[in-house]
Amino acid sequence: MIPAAFEYLVPTTLDEALSALSTHTDAKILAGGHSLIPAMKLRLASPKYLIDISRISDLNYVRESGGQILIGAGTTHYQIESSTLLKEKCPLLTETAPYIGDVQVRNRGTLGGSLAHADPAADWPAAILAVGAEINVRSSRGERTLKAEDFFVDMMTTALQPNEILTEIRIPIPPQRTGSAYEKVKQPASGFALVGVAVQITLDTNRTCQRVQVGITGLAPKPFRAIGVENMLKGKVINDQLLAQAAEKAADGVDPLSDIHASAEYRSHLARVHTKRALQRAVSRI
Amino acid sequence: MRIEGNHTLKGKPEKVWNTLTDPEILAKCLPGCEKLEKTEEDTYKATLNMGIGSIKGTYTGQVKLVDKQPYSSFKMIVEGKGGPGFVKGEGILNLQEQNDHTLITYQGDAQVGGTIASVGQRMIQASAKMIIGQFFTALDMLQEQQPPSSETSSGGAPSGSSSPPPNFFFKVTLRYLWNELKKILRIKN
Repeated sequence: MIPAAFEYLVPTTLDEALSALSTHTDAKILAGGHSLIPAMKLRLASPKYLIDISRISDLNYVRESGGQILIGAGTTHYQIESSTLLKEKCPLLTETAPYIGDVQVRNRGTLGGSLAHADPAADWPAAILAVGAEINVRSSRGERTLKAEDFFVDMMTTALQPNEILTEIRIPIPPQRTGSAYEKVKQPASGFALVGVAVQITLDTNRTCQRVQVGITGLAPKPFRAIGVENMLKGKVINDQLLAQAAEKAADGVDPLSDIHASAEYRSHLARVHTKRALQRAVSRI
Repeated sequence: MRIEGNHTLKGKPEKVWNTLTDPEILAKCLPGCEKLEKTEEDTYKATLNMGIGSIKGTYTGQVKLVDKQPYSSFKMIVEGKGGPGFVKGEGILNLQEQNDHTLITYQGDAQVGGTIASVGQRMIQASAKMIIGQFFTALDMLQEQQPPSSETSSGGAPSGSSSPPPNFFFKVTLRYLWNELKKILRIKN
């Protein structure tokens, strides 16, 4: 449980961090360290350099700007959980946060760290997909913004380049008559999601579905938008029967994970059942 | 752990067979392959530095090809160990012609042990799939770059012009990322 030797760098500004990242090969960004440090202690990862970005105060904020909520990548799970701005304007995030790990993890772990690590069973990716977020990344040569669904490439693999740092998550503020919910089945020992389903849905006054986004984690090697479910609901008048029918599409077209905790069939079943529950709960909150 | 799947490669089985059994080409397509040397007929010693995301490790091991039925099937026996754990397994690869392409189906069993198995259990199967996918994608692109069938049975002469460029896997990754980027740009337009 002792990591291999490494050099430890503590930049205090983003520019310093970016320049350190571009000059050192085999460097890893350290945010909250709740995935990377255990992996290093087990010697499953042994980077030569760690660039600790937790002292960069510019990466730690939740604020509203131009119809969006902006969250700095270094914002901890607990800060999101307790944000009054998010609770009022984007409650899906404050609902999802308490499902992550335990108190210690939520006090240290960060939103950006979780997204960049891209664990296939992490909670945030489902919520981030469901709120239609954009992800801003920067390198010493510039910045770019990606849609959440383009950010996740494969298991533990994102569109981040080796010289880039995830800096900000941008969430469009949902319109009136929007409801959301997160449903999760925990693996009892680790607390990771066997399956997690996040839903954000907007209905008009006739209960016609204007917008719906369903993000699913834990089921496949990467988190994904359940497009089949969304297409069955968009433009339709919502009732319980339709929600149940749409939820049946939750695992369509994916290659489900299978391990000692849950087979592919069981995971797919959980995804369908919990998509239905998440949809029902989200609609009931409108 | 059961591993099975299939992949279609360009070219007829004769060409694909020669590619698949050529250590020089394999060394360029195996993700993170640092060294692949022939120790005896159909037996190779390999050093691989592979991983997914931040989880990386160096493995050394042996790959043996047996029961070779030219152009149609062979069995592969793999044994390796490294810091994070060990892997042992064997599988059969079948080659089948399909409209000038070759359908490769593979099935086998692998045992993974050590740290990686005790803490990474939930990701091992998907990692294996991902690495196999990377291997075939690299192989397919490498085949494309080769001159058509002229020197298929080169036997291992360290040829200059036809041998694939170094860091081939890196280039494949770059091209993949470029395609992703193009996709993203198109969406935004």
